[in-house]
Parts: sequence; structure tokens; C-alpha cells
Amino acid sequence: MYEVWLGLNIFYEIALSLWPALAVLLLVWLGTVLWKRKDLKHVNARALLAVAVLGTSVATIALPSMSRSSLSDMGYWVDWAMLLATAAGLGVAAAVLIWPLLARAPDKT
Amino acid sequence: MNARQDDLLDTNRRRWLMGSAAAGAAVWAAPSGQALAARLQTKAHVLIAGSGLGGLAVAHRLNQFLDGVRITIIDRKEEHNYQPGYTLVATGVWPVSKVRDRNADFMPAGVTWIKDMVAEFDPAGNAVVTASGVRVRYDYLVVATGTHQDWSQIEGMDISALGQHGLTSVYPSPEAAVATWTAMDAFRQKGGQAVMTLPATPLKCAGAPLKMTFMLRDRLAQAGTLDKSKVTFYSALGNVFGVNVVNDNVISRWNDLGIGVEYTQRLKAIDIGRRQATFASPEGNATEVPYDFIHVVPPMRAPDAIKDSDLAWKEGAFAAGGWLEVDKSTLQHRRFPNVFGIGDINGTPRGKTAATVKKSAPIVAQHLVDVMAGRQPGQTFDGYTSCPLIVKEGSAMLIEFDYEGRLTPSLPMVEPLQAGYFGWFMKYRLLKPAYMAVLKGRV
Repeated sequence: MYEVWLGLNIFYEIALSLWPALAVLLLVWLGTVLWKRKDLKHVNARALLAVAVLGTSVATIALPSMSRSSLSDMGYWVDWAMLLATAAGLGVAAAVLIWPLLARAPDKT
Repeated sequence: MNARQDDLLDTNRRRWLMGSAAAGAAVWAAPSGQALAARLQTKAHVLIAGSGLGGLAVAHRLNQFLDGVRITIIDRKEEHNYQPGYTLVATGVWPVSKVRDRNADFMPAGVTWIKDMVAEFDPAGNAVVTASGVRVRYDYLVVATGTHQDWSQIEGMDISALGQHGLTSVYPSPEAAVATWTAMDAFRQKGGQAVMTLPATPLKCAGAPLKMTFMLRDRLAQAGTLDKSKVTFYSALGNVFGVNVVNDNVISRWNDLGIGVEYTQRLKAIDIGRRQATFASPEGNATEVPYDFIHVVPPMRAPDAIKDSDLAWKEGAFAAGGWLEVDKSTLQHRRFPNVFGIGDINGTPRGKTAATVKKSAPIVAQHLVDVMAGRQPGQTFDGYTSCPLIVKEGSAMLIEFDYEGRLTPSLPMVEPLQAGYFGWFMKYRLLKPAYMAVLKGRV
């Protein structure tokens, strides 16, 4: 329980340190959601999945060097698990951000 | 790792797996455990000497636990430093801005902050006297003063010269960490003789001298000057780290990396201009060692105000350093029950790290409340300490242990002696946010 609580607090503190950028991102995202609100149901699930996979792949490669490490420093499965979990989280976040832009009403012609 | 430690790790893993699923839901349901507890009504005055991580973490928690309490913090320091980040600054990984904050930003609401230093503790009179001569009375005292770096024990040492003539030390300040990186960066361009030191006294972050050694070697390798260099670690003790299994692991790694170790060699004197260090053996023999780069770790003890007071140990292993005489399980003073210790000042085996404060601050705060309520302190602190031991840029071991030197990983899947990205990422990205959560009394 303690470690879960600690993890949530770490997440919160990271978000707190980035809040101006996160706030702008959230506002832009909410604006896009409002703008595309009628089309949101008509999202291409495959495209969304592709964005998530692409985001995860890019993050997997980029995260170690962004934290001054490298893929050669992956010592054991815990290292890979954390890298992949973090990258997957970023991939999903990318998909959620892109979601309103991918939403498009079906062509009626 | 021996069979007993394997058993301990397995037991920890089983406990963690069994409890974690239910725990997640419980955490989401309750913002924090202490928030659910009834707040104790009191008009007591709690004085906290020191505004580092320990002092502030306890202050925040007491604010949560107590209703009507008067809390005073005495500390002159206005800058709050994230000291666990010094090794990253001193090895060129982080900018110095990452270890600098304002203490004012972390003071709990309603707390009185006296910007002065405690010069004298009078526990019999339940009072302290500040450097400016003001006597402040208290009902309860939390000692959180940290350590005193006793540079005077090294003849010829001058910390204002750090960064010049190959002289470095990660310990004194953010400025010293920056100066250390400046000197390390210059040294690695050419290579040469590097001397790393370790005194015989208890140290805060006893892993820092090892991290500096690993990182220096890595920086030389990156710069291509390793073949022109020799790195030697001079320990005043018979080992380089107090936990045997970790010590053996580090020595094995250093053997593979070509880092030499000299034991029972205490840095006695230094000639900064001539770049000459003098080491003394227990037999009294002095050896002069020339260097191009030296990392000096200061002997540490309690600040004079504690050392010279009735609060210090009067006999035993911690008396020489004048450390605070607390019970190692409750962190309550052994002779003055209204006094508690938190952090580096405590005269306890091991445990002078931020991680120690993370686990002990909630216990100290709870025990203080227990004493106010007329109860016996009921929790036991096991001496938890953690050290993300960097072995190169990008790789670290996440080592956690207790008073007995047993490895106690918080996450059961973590192999403490396995270096890799997980330990490094914790150190590089996650531990400062964790520190902030501890500081604010949430974790």
C-alpha cells in the first residue's frame, strides 16, 4: 500500500512541476474536444491504436537517452518492464491527445 | 547474497504480492491514512530545530495530527537544498538549479519560523538559546539539525579552494558540487592520478563517495583518458561501505574496473598548492600521495550545540561524535522523553539519508502525538535506509537496508545488487518528486 501511495505522490509531484505546460495542453485538448464534439463517436480505432503503438515505440527508444541512459543499460527484466510501462503510458497519452483530431463523421455520400 | 537474505527477500515478495491488490483500492479511497485519524486537541508548543527534510516533514505531519498546536521552527537557512541531487550536479548530470529551492515555499501554514540558529540546548529547562541570545521555551522538542562537517580534522584543507588545483568535494553545498564538476571535467580531459577518500566517522549519504568514484571512472572512460589515469580509493576503515554484501559487490566491481582500494588510510593533511595528500594509518605511519584530482569527504559529527549539550550520547559508539541520544526504535530521546530526533543528527546505527527520513518522519510525528496523549510510543523504526548507488552514467543499483544491514527492497521484484536503468531512472527522475512528497508530509 505504501509503495502505491508513494507512486501516486511521485506522479502528482511530477505533474505539479510541469503544470503550466500541462494546463496549456489540457486547454488545447478540451478546445479540440468541444470543436469536434459531434464527431467524437466516429473515431477510427485502428488509427488510434496505431498512434498508441507508434508513441510507445518512439518513447521506448527515446526515453533512456532523454534520461541520460541507453538501451545497453537495461540490466534485467525490471529495467525493461519499467521502460515499457512508462513508454506505453506515454503512447496511450499520445493517443488520447490525438483522439479528437482523428474523429471524423462518416461520409454520407 | 546468503540464504538468510534470500529468504527475507522472498518473504517480502510474498507479502507484497498478497497485499498490493487490496492496497491499491484502499489508497484511492483514502487520501492518506493520517487524514482519517482524529486530530488531537492541544495547546502545546513544539519546537523544531532545523528546517531540512526531517524538520519540515515532521512539522507538516504534526500540523495534520494536532489541533491548536503551536509549532516553531528555528533555522537561519533560507535556501532549501535537495542534497541527494548533489552527486548528479557534481558529476555533470544535473544543472545546479535542480537542487535549489526556497525554504519559505515549504513552511507549513501557521508555523512560526525563527531565522536564527540554536546555539544552546537546555533540555532540563525545556528551552533553547539562539545564536542571537533569545531563549525559546518549548513543551516538546524535535532535533533536526543535521550534521557538522568537521573540515578542521584535515590539516591544510580549505573549502573555499574547491574546484581549484584538482580539489573537490560533493558534500558542503550546491556551489561545491558545481566546483567539483568543473574540476572533474577539466581532469577528465587529460587524466592522471585520482585520489578518492573516506573518513572513519558516520557519514550522511555514505554512498556518495562510492558514487563519485564510479562516476569519475566513467567520465574518464567517456573522455578516452582512462588509460592515462589511475583511480584509487583511500578508506579510513577496513571496508568502503557498512553493509557487507554491498561492500563486497562494490569491491568486485572496482576490481573489474581497475579502481584500487587502500584500507585504514585516513586523510590527515592536504597541501592544496602542491597537490599532495597525507594519509595516516592506525599505527601512526604517514604516507604522502601526489594527485591530480582529489575528492575529499569531511569527517562528520554533531553540531557543537548538540555535542556540548545534555542531549548528546555520553558513552558508547556515538559519544565521540556527540550524536543525539535517541532510542533507535522509537527515535525518542533516552533521557528526555519530550525530545525526539529526526534525520542525520540521530545517534543510531546507519541511516543518514533522505530515505531514512521518509520512513522515520511519520513515526516521529506519531510518537510525539502519542506522548502528548499520554501513550507510550508504539511503533518501531527498523532503520530503513536507501542508496541508489550509481555505477556509471545511466545505471545504478537501488539498495535498501535496515539497522542490521539486511537488504530490504520495497518492491519485491527489485534485485538490490543488479545495476541498471530502473535504479538510475529512480535517482535521475523519480526520487526528487518522492522527496517533495515526504517534505510536505504526504508520504
